[in-house]
Amino acid sequence: METIELLILLLKFIVFPGAIFCIAYGFFLEWFDRKLYAKFQNRIGPLLTGPKGLLQPFADFVKLLAKEDITPVGADKLGFTLTPLLTVAVSLFTLLFIPIHSLTGVLSLPGDVLLVLFISTVFGLLIMFAGYFSGNRFSMVGTERTGLQFVGYEIPFALSVISVAAAARSLEITNIVNYQVNILGLPLIVFTPIAFAIYLISALAKLEKIPFDIPEAETEIVGGWQVEYSGKKLAFFRLATDLKMVFVSGLAAALFLGGPYGPSIPGLEPIFYTIWFIIKTLIVMFILSNLRSLFARYRIDQVVHGFWKYMVPLAVLQILIVEGLIFMGVI
Amino acid sequence: MSVEKRIFKIPVGPQHPALKEFEHFVFTVDGERVIDVGFRIGYTHRGIEKLAESKTYIQNLYLCERICGICSAAHQGCYAQTVEELADITAPPRGTYIRTLIWELERIHSHLLWLGVAAHEIGFDTLFMLVWRDREVVMDLLEMISGNRVNYAMSTIGGVRRDISDELKHKILKGLDILEERTKYYKEVCMKEQTILARAANVGILTREQALKLNAVGPTARASGVDVDLRRDDPYGAYDEVPFNVIVYDTCDVLARVLVRVDETFECINMCRWLLENLPEGDIRTKFARKIAENEVVGRVEAPRGELFYYIKSNGTDKPERLKVRTPTLANILPVCEMLKGGYIADIPIVLAGIDPCFACMDRALFIDENSEKKWVWSREQLRIYSIKWYKEHGNEVVRERWKQ
Repeated sequence: METIELLILLLKFIVFPGAIFCIAYGFFLEWFDRKLYAKFQNRIGPLLTGPKGLLQPFADFVKLLAKEDITPVGADKLGFTLTPLLTVAVSLFTLLFIPIHSLTGVLSLPGDVLLVLFISTVFGLLIMFAGYFSGNRFSMVGTERTGLQFVGYEIPFALSVISVAAAARSLEITNIVNYQVNILGLPLIVFTPIAFAIYLISALAKLEKIPFDIPEAETEIVGGWQVEYSGKKLAFFRLATDLKMVFVSGLAAALFLGGPYGPSIPGLEPIFYTIWFIIKTLIVMFILSNLRSLFARYRIDQVVHGFWKYMVPLAVLQILIVEGLIFMGVI
Repeated sequence: MSVEKRIFKIPVGPQHPALKEFEHFVFTVDGERVIDVGFRIGYTHRGIEKLAESKTYIQNLYLCERICGICSAAHQGCYAQTVEELADITAPPRGTYIRTLIWELERIHSHLLWLGVAAHEIGFDTLFMLVWRDREVVMDLLEMISGNRVNYAMSTIGGVRRDISDELKHKILKGLDILEERTKYYKEVCMKEQTILARAANVGILTREQALKLNAVGPTARASGVDVDLRRDDPYGAYDEVPFNVIVYDTCDVLARVLVRVDETFECINMCRWLLENLPEGDIRTKFARKIAENEVVGRVEAPRGELFYYIKSNGTDKPERLKVRTPTLANILPVCEMLKGGYIADIPIVLAGIDPCFACMDRALFIDENSEKKWVWSREQLRIYSIKWYKEHGNEVVRERWKQ
């Protein structure tokens, strides 16, 4: 009996909703994002690999795996090799906390909101290390920029999540989802729209998408921290970016949009919940793609300035609103 | 980390995504601030001036056109105009009008291209894609008139090569309407979109005094409040008859350079309409004797990027004795270094792009020895031999030096 349970848990980790599902879904999200971005720019986007270019991100990944992998003389060998692996591992690990097929993630423990927030800051740190270890001048500038941007977006990101946690009076993702489904009966975005907006904007910065693609700004510093990475290592970084997209949109779905819950047929919940999860994350991704096709890239000082001057006060205001609502007994 | 250590040098170019051509800049930066700028030009030297001396006047038409891909008509037209003056012939009015029309259509295409590039440099790829889509309209018009999309080969010595029929005129007017509507939209975007304003306003300042002192030309000068435009100041072609305004902005920043170009596009569209409606009847070219008596002439036109300067000397044969070209980018290279100082690294691409640089047209390989002030000119072959020799001797050191840094 125990071995079967262990086997099921292992399958959950590796196949569904763990690694393999998340990676496949990450590639799908990248395709969705690219296709949508292309549509907004009056282009066609990926077209030939698979139906409507669906397999293009996967093909890119495989192609990069086969490419020559160069470690520059000036790089720190151990760090240079370890960072891409760590980045993928960390992104996969955080995904285990996101509820996908049921109201609970594969892993769930009291206070996991804090854990997930902490690990998501590690993304930023790892990017800094990645740039630092490669010992290139452009990477150095990229690293500095990552660090600065990190100072900007991390606090509003955390505050926006905290306001949701405050509303649900719990620091466990499962409880927050349960609160929305069973107690409130409404997704929390109804009461925390400001937090949702701040979450999305900081998420763009976390994912290094326009207008916050400053650390890798192609036209300014030639790709910033990832200049020296090639072959397998670059492939892993790109995979990690896709996984981060799943994480960011999945967390948004869990915290603001009622998790994977939606109308379903009793007994078939895992299937329906997965479909609802996909729909909700696609909505988040749609907004993110829209945002990134609308703007020009900001300058690093403008970003830090903007986040601290506007986002942080707004996030605090949101927390105050939530507290007020709790005090009045609305939620 | 000590203060000195934070100051380091960033090379931009010869290969860099922000530069569409090869040119080398060295930026001394302190964190994100640029303290000093050094540059080295000459990577795209092609020996065109020397080559021109061995070709006939007619052959040189097509050589000069290839100095620059974007302002090819300006180069060819300027060359043709200068040779006409050299041979003392004048193009018939219809030929002059069509030549001017091509110049103005080319200006529209060049300015729209620039707007797209500028948008790309500040990471606004959506605007870049859309502008370039609409630029296709003017490219198609040029193709309809001349048969070519890039090097039009329209001007010839004594006029132009192809006529414009009434049917074509109608098509061009239709295309101009589309362009005007789209350009209006882009102007609105440039003036209202907050991210563009944040990146372009008060960036890359070049004051009026600096612009005059460092000899800025074209839209770069006009964005710094310097009211110069050869089309009005020294009319050539049909410009003394066409009504148009010279656009001048005095905010001296990148935004001004954007707006100068966008507003100029409107002027160009109106000028094209006027030229088409008032196209005189008659021949499109006159005959031209192959040999030109000894003479020397300086010709100037206002290319999309600024003042273009041609000097041709003839010696009685059918080939020029000397051809000298000064392109607007060379004039703008000192001002751009001034603009970059004190700015952020993030502003380098947009400021560099702000002058609409075209390094390939600029490089004519003039060597100046700073110590003895000796000047000499090398052909491409000499340069090649020298570079091979130099790298044989110094190659290893250079590579090692680069790794150390």
